[in-house]
Amino acid sequence: MTTIRRGTALLAGLLILAACQQAGAVPAAVCVGEATTYFAYLTGSEDQPDAQDPIEQADAAGDLLESVQEAGVLRISTDANYEPQSFREPDGSWVGFDIDVGTEIAERLGVEAEFQHQDWDIITAGNWNERWDISVGSMTITTGRKELFSFTQPYYYTPAYLAASERSGVTSLDDLEFTIPDDVEAITRPTDQNCIEDIEAGRTEFDLLMTSGTVIDGAVEGGLPIVKIGEPVFNEPLSVAIDKAGPEHAALLYEIDQIIGEMHADGTLTALSEEWFGTDFSQEAAAD
Amino acid sequence: MTVAEIPQPGSLLAQIEESQARYRSIFRLKFFATWAGLIGLLLAGLYFTGNIDTAFIAEWGPFIIGGAGLTVFVSAVSIVFATILALIGAIGRLSRNPYINGIASLYVSLVRGTPLIVQIYFIYLALPQLGIVLAAIPSGIIALSFNYGAYMTEVFRAGIQAVPRGQREAAQSLGLTERLVMWRIVMPQAFRIVIPAIGNDFVAMLKDSSLVSILAVEELLFRSQLVGRQNFRSLEALVIAAAVYWLLTIIFSYFQQRLELRMARGDR
Repeated sequence: MTTIRRGTALLAGLLILAACQQAGAVPAAVCVGEATTYFAYLTGSEDQPDAQDPIEQADAAGDLLESVQEAGVLRISTDANYEPQSFREPDGSWVGFDIDVGTEIAERLGVEAEFQHQDWDIITAGNWNERWDISVGSMTITTGRKELFSFTQPYYYTPAYLAASERSGVTSLDDLEFTIPDDVEAITRPTDQNCIEDIEAGRTEFDLLMTSGTVIDGAVEGGLPIVKIGEPVFNEPLSVAIDKAGPEHAALLYEIDQIIGEMHADGTLTALSEEWFGTDFSQEAAAD
Repeated sequence: MTVAEIPQPGSLLAQIEESQARYRSIFRLKFFATWAGLIGLLLAGLYFTGNIDTAFIAEWGPFIIGGAGLTVFVSAVSIVFATILALIGAIGRLSRNPYINGIASLYVSLVRGTPLIVQIYFIYLALPQLGIVLAAIPSGIIALSFNYGAYMTEVFRAGIQAVPRGQREAAQSLGLTERLVMWRIVMPQAFRIVIPAIGNDFVAMLKDSSLVSILAVEELLFRSQLVGRQNFRSLEALVIAAAVYWLLTIIFSYFQQRLELRMARGDR
């Protein structure tokens, strides 16, 4: 897997430990959010990013599509802790890339979009119990999640990056040497925002974290003492998800998949991506 | 010694009262000066060492404080249900019927023996597996009501038992029925005894209602965490939430004190 070289500036923690043990035997501590693809990637689990399954047209009768159209409301869950994908304004309104995509999907379905915050681990745990209809929350398609959710085609792709605390002095991949997943100790927090908060608070359990490039950019812009390092480690395909344990939804899935296809084709997603991320993430970037 | 030098009993009493009043007002002045001084020190310390972003507070303060309405709503509804549950529970705990007594005792033991956060998660996340799907706010209210109902059951039971036996006997000797004795003689007196305890429980409930933030109920703590995380200003956001909780409990404690004074009139 990915090998990262070491330079002169080693992590302080690694250095101290390396003095006691043999160099290279120390696992690098990398903080990730629980239930994220970064965690799966770092630990080398089988639950890796994956392509969506083929989607077929279906009859709307008795489908979730029908009940959404009857209610006139599409209930969309998203975690409001992720700027610029999904966050709140001081007046309480929802804004962000995912919010615009969700609103556009609802509009093209001819219904109103209704957003509700759910913690990310609650959304990805599945079994939504019909409390909401779909997730437009930048969910990565993975082999494991495909057991729980039906996915549309990706509406965008974000590159996953490593970031280091400023105090570690690490600024590029050349400063590091470890193999993922063999030499990595994954330290989990409820969300990857907590990893950044811990570094801000001066905690020293880790100096590295892995999350999406956009989250890191947002934190750096917010003045947080972290540095984005190197090239993307991998690309995540991010999709709209529907709970497989919920009602029949083949027709809704097909409709939303078609809508996302149209939004790719007519440039809506490119425009939204450039508006929120300053770059076009709607197509898969060339991986390193 | 002339007569004029002996103080009149009436004026002596007035002097004592006056000096006591002066002492009380000086005490109060020093008391509040201590509070103001300490709180001022705390805020100044936070401001100068914590890199406080006042623009953030001005921008997001109203949004966070807007969650207080839901905090008060959830707490108030829950305390009403908890009181009803506690009343039923207390009567059950005092019942001579072994089945009713057993049910009430099991309720108290089970609820007091498990953490509130587990109960909240259980109602929201586990009940759906049994086919009962509740929204976040009702889940939170049910969990808080059941939890506090159990604690208050014991408070009510103790309150009923604290009414002197003579009251019950006197009422019975007047020929009142068992039911009338309970509702007209014992309960009103028991209620007066438990009022301070209910007040305490409500203050505790105001704070424990923060636990329903884990269900993404947009109350005070939820909003504070959301905003704090989103803007990486956790200190400011949590201080705002803490201040509002504190203010709410101070306001409530004031009314509780007045209510207690009123209820205590019969004791004089």
